[in-house]
Amino acid sequence: MSRALASAPATPYARAGEGMVGRSAGPGFTLVQVGAWLLAIVWVAPLLYAIWTAFHPPAFAARFTLLAPLTLDNFTRALEAAPFPRYLLNTVLLVTMTLAGQLVLCSLAAFAFARFEFKGRELLFALVLVQLLITPDVLLVENYRTISRLGILDTILAIGLPYMASAFGIFLLRQTFKQVPKELEEAARIEGCSWLGVLWRVYVPVARPVYVAYGLVSVSYHWNNFLWPLIVTNSVETRPVTVGLQVFSSVDQGIDWSIVCAATLVTSGPLLVAFLIFQRQFVQSFLRAGIR
Amino acid sequence: MRVTRRGFTALGAAAIGSAGLGVRPARSTEVKLTFYYPIAVGGPITKIVDGYAKRFAELHPGIMIEPVYTGSYQDTMTKTLTALKGGNPPHLAVLLAVDTFTLYDEDAIVPFDELVQSEADRAWMKSFYPAFLENGAIDGKTWGIPFQRSTPVLYWNKEAFAEAGLDPERPPATWDEQVEFAKKLTKRDSAGNVTQYGIQIPSSGFPYWLFQGLVIQNGGQLMNAAGNEVYFDTPEVVEALQYQVDLARKHGAMAPGIIEWGTTPKDFFERRTAMMWTTTGNLTNVRNNAPFPFGVAMLPAKKRRGAPTGGGNLFIFKRATPAERQAAFTFVRWLTSPEMAADWGIATGYVATSPAAWETPAMKKYVAEFPPATVARDQLQYAKAELSTHENQRVTKVFNDGLQAALTLAKSPAQAMKDAQAEAMRILAPYR
Repeated sequence: MSRALASAPATPYARAGEGMVGRSAGPGFTLVQVGAWLLAIVWVAPLLYAIWTAFHPPAFAARFTLLAPLTLDNFTRALEAAPFPRYLLNTVLLVTMTLAGQLVLCSLAAFAFARFEFKGRELLFALVLVQLLITPDVLLVENYRTISRLGILDTILAIGLPYMASAFGIFLLRQTFKQVPKELEEAARIEGCSWLGVLWRVYVPVARPVYVAYGLVSVSYHWNNFLWPLIVTNSVETRPVTVGLQVFSSVDQGIDWSIVCAATLVTSGPLLVAFLIFQRQFVQSFLRAGIR
Repeated sequence: MRVTRRGFTALGAAAIGSAGLGVRPARSTEVKLTFYYPIAVGGPITKIVDGYAKRFAELHPGIMIEPVYTGSYQDTMTKTLTALKGGNPPHLAVLLAVDTFTLYDEDAIVPFDELVQSEADRAWMKSFYPAFLENGAIDGKTWGIPFQRSTPVLYWNKEAFAEAGLDPERPPATWDEQVEFAKKLTKRDSAGNVTQYGIQIPSSGFPYWLFQGLVIQNGGQLMNAAGNEVYFDTPEVVEALQYQVDLARKHGAMAPGIIEWGTTPKDFFERRTAMMWTTTGNLTNVRNNAPFPFGVAMLPAKKRRGAPTGGGNLFIFKRATPAERQAAFTFVRWLTSPEMAADWGIATGYVATSPAAWETPAMKKYVAEFPPATVARDQLQYAKAELSTHENQRVTKVFNDGLQAALTLAKSPAQAMKDAQAEAMRILAPYR
């Protein structure tokens, strides 16, 4: 089972490499393939270790014998330590809500920046770009104050809100929209399409790969985000999985890898499965969108 | 039920908000306190703390404690400071004792001296082991009450001792013995690779802590009580560092380079090291997982015995209203009463913080069943305050970097400590 998992993510990359280099030279081809395999093995090793450790008793966490007894005990203990199903639900709500907000806001903003002439447009866009240069951690206190004043501390909305007007998303979509030929838009206008109609019928379909790629980046970022959710939430009802996992960050005592790995699998599992299912679309979207 | 709880939180937030404006809600029979609690020990720790909050609520119907689990000590500090600057700090929190200066400099906390009222309260403040109070004292006042406190001890594998021809009941008592035993305990396979090291003194993450044990044993200390001066480049410190480096590099009895803190107990269980230095907080973990008989001892002596204290104190925040502060104080007093301190110590392996706690029936029974539990307590008479200064995180980082530079041979111990001293004193200049 683990072998199948190991080779699964590697294949498409290896094939892509084949296609690109196969034309030029023989030795380059093998080199790329070996490289791809090496990278794939390095990438999957921690995951394999996590799977091994999660399904074996703690005594076998660092001893690899084929006959080691299998157990689900670690999962039971992990689920006892914290309400992970609830955390998982919170995370799913969080990433969906954040992504929805981002898609709407970024599309509208990008459309305006790409297609409308208005006073101060360049300056405004420069301001948006400046946001790209600031790491979110610097804004912790200011964001907290804002959220606190809005009176929505300790809600899922509070975790997602500061990220909804994403500068990266605006920038990315604006660049994509700019490449759309004006003729398409004009044709739609002549057919009697409203501005929002143009955005919806012309621009959004053309930018689909960018949306998919951006969506993946956003979802995986917010799935993994820790510090801000920790700071702005207090209760089980609002906290995402990353914050839920903190019950295992026991620095004063040794780390119990078995239970940490079990919990990690529970929490990252859905994302991994989603990636395996949609990997072809994702890879293609990334290639087309030019984010790598 | 969920909805009601959320509603409650909103109500609580509203209460805090209006209290800040001097408008008290008419119906203020219930005080609701937010309690930030960092997760520093494994196991179902959140259940224990939730249980305490519930028991307290039954005893004091007017006060409700709401524990908020806040990750590691680092994360908790970040969350606390952010919430503080956002005008919404918790009412009380467990934070590292060494962060007292930072909280004091931020004007975030109140001294307990202002909260005590009765003679009994004053006696309670004096009821703790003095070593645990050191890190919480500034300007002659007590800003933090010891709660989950620890100190490093030496664990040894009795089986490995017997195999190496050592007396399995006698741990090393001096630095020289420690080297000698560790060398004997180091096992190599036919190819010359080490299969079992004699000793591990972890040096990742917060290497200063265990190292400070060596410094105190060598008759030195790392900082003054006012927290504005450090003594990193004194001969006592450099010698101690040389000793730690030599254990690995000269005697080959310890793994060279940086030794991971979190995996050291595992190495001990797997017999990759025969002795280890780590916190007494690991006692329950070792007791449950060591597949061989083990012993717990005080750290060996050079000029004297010695160890730093460690762990977290309870703090009460300034922004709370007088009523909330008093309620928080009631909770702190209850939580640190002998019975509760004993209960907490038994559940987690932390050192119960007052002599009275060790006289409770529960603790006496525990000690009778598991005598190693007393080692850390008995070592307290030799213990000193953990490294803590103004700008604590920056100063400690400078020192950690110096230690790790020496352990990885990037610098000589003397050079590393000289550089760390200069940098730390520069950071502390505004406080002198």
